[in-house]
Amino acid sequence: MTRTIRLAARQALLEQRSFWRSAEYALFTFAFPLMILLLIGAANVGSHLPGTHIKNTTVFVPGILAFGVIVASYVNLGSKVAVLRHDGVLKRIRTTPLPSGAYIGGLLVSTLATAILITAATGLIGFLAFGARPRPGELLALGGGLVLGTVCFGALGLAVSSVITSSESAGPVAYASFLPIAIISGVFDPTFSGLPDWLSRLVAAFPVKALAEVLQNAYAVRPFPAWDFVNLGLWTAAGAAFAIWRFRWHS
Amino acid sequence: MMTDICVTYEQAPVADGSAVYVRDLRMSFGAKEVLRGVDFDVRYGEVFCLLGPNGAGKTTTLEILEGFRSPTGGVVRVLGLDPAAQPGRLRERAGMVLQECGFPRQARVAELIDVWRTYYPNPRPLGDLLEVVELTEMRNTQVRKLSGGQRRRLDFALALAGDPDLIFLDEPTTGFDPEARRRCWAAIENLRGLGKTILLTTHYLDEAERLADRIAIVRDGRIELCGTTHEVATRAGLATRISFTTPSALRRGQVPLPDGIDLAVRGSESVCHTSNAAMTLRLLLAWAHEHRLGDLDGLAVTAPRLEDTYLQLTRDQP
Repeated sequence: MTRTIRLAARQALLEQRSFWRSAEYALFTFAFPLMILLLIGAANVGSHLPGTHIKNTTVFVPGILAFGVIVASYVNLGSKVAVLRHDGVLKRIRTTPLPSGAYIGGLLVSTLATAILITAATGLIGFLAFGARPRPGELLALGGGLVLGTVCFGALGLAVSSVITSSESAGPVAYASFLPIAIISGVFDPTFSGLPDWLSRLVAAFPVKALAEVLQNAYAVRPFPAWDFVNLGLWTAAGAAFAIWRFRWHS
Repeated sequence: MMTDICVTYEQAPVADGSAVYVRDLRMSFGAKEVLRGVDFDVRYGEVFCLLGPNGAGKTTTLEILEGFRSPTGGVVRVLGLDPAAQPGRLRERAGMVLQECGFPRQARVAELIDVWRTYYPNPRPLGDLLEVVELTEMRNTQVRKLSGGQRRRLDFALALAGDPDLIFLDEPTTGFDPEARRRCWAAIENLRGLGKTILLTTHYLDEAERLADRIAIVRDGRIELCGTTHEVATRAGLATRISFTTPSALRRGQVPLPDGIDLAVRGSESVCHTSNAAMTLRLLLAWAHEHRLGDLDGLAVTAPRLEDTYLQLTRDQP
């Protein structure tokens, strides 16, 4: 058991090193969310949510936190595993006595580390640039939401990796399968509204809006998002089940 | 068919002292029979080659030996282990180079080998691994910047990382230019020099002839022939060719043709084919002595080549 953990840690370290060495991964994962944070955040400075005293940026910053978590876990892990599978790296791992758990564990730990870093960077910049900070009593809910979000979208990332059919399409498929939902979930625009009733109900069924609301609740007083936690839990279970069912070591 | 050449059936069906032991191995994918009773042994310390055209069943055989597939029938033991039942233990002691297997895109050569070493209980030293595959100078290069041949040698290094007793190489030089092949061969010779047992597959005759101690020719899911290069050719029924410069007395018809030898006089060269070269040579030299033809100028004895065997076997294809 300790050997598996040691091997997983070693694997995670290699993954992190490779990650930071790769401009495309590091740039997209970090620069993209932070750029959106600053650009759209700047456009929202001074505005308030309609009919309230809540600043737009107070809701926008946790939305970008959710976005960062999703990019780090869903997009990154999903496309990464798909590429590893189609390049035959997973197959090669199977020729060694490395326990599968240690390898997958290493990938997950590395993903978690990336998610923590992007969250810290977003939170810090959100505070420094826009003064957005979590409500004092809600740090636990914020931490819980971030962990649940990372686990949920990590599971969904593993699941989507199984339906990606080539290395080249990995990144585009991972992004394209969540960006539209993120947009109509209002992640980039706190005042986003006016969707037809059926569409907003559909969007609420996806975990993107659920995660954003859980994190927004930790920043600004809103109705307690009990349903959103349930939603994330269900998607986690569904994603994990699909990922385990469909997991393959070779393409 | 000559499938029984490779093994002795009187032996008890145990993996006694063989690195690889295969008996009556059968594999079907649906209705398609890919392996129809394959038998062979690989001895410790030898380089054994499965040679055959594409689709003959070489890779399927290897995948079963590596524990990636369960056979439909037959007995397989690798280093005394049942690969399908004990893949983890097998992989601690057997290195595997698959046909197409990628590397993590951003890893550097030495870094990757070093990570691989942590997977094994008794790894070889990093410097030693780099040296064996001649990649010491590329140790800090990113894997994606390596050429095809260099990647293949990195494959070897990773397969050797755990200091295995046995190494599987599936078509190690397919698609490489001559220089890359030469360097891969040199690396394989280095592996042999370390005393490793090597089981390789190839469809290149020169590769089998150059690297292997023993060769099994696989065709259509069966072992057609098995043995050293020379044995394989002999067992295929190919004759040794004996030739010499036709003596002028023979050409002028002043000397009778030798008895018991099917000698053909083709202008300046005389040629005969025989399955018993020693006997034929004795007869020939006695005949030459008797008729004062001297030592027969240009006398040449050419053993049948693997290529002749292989071409004959594949020509007979149904």
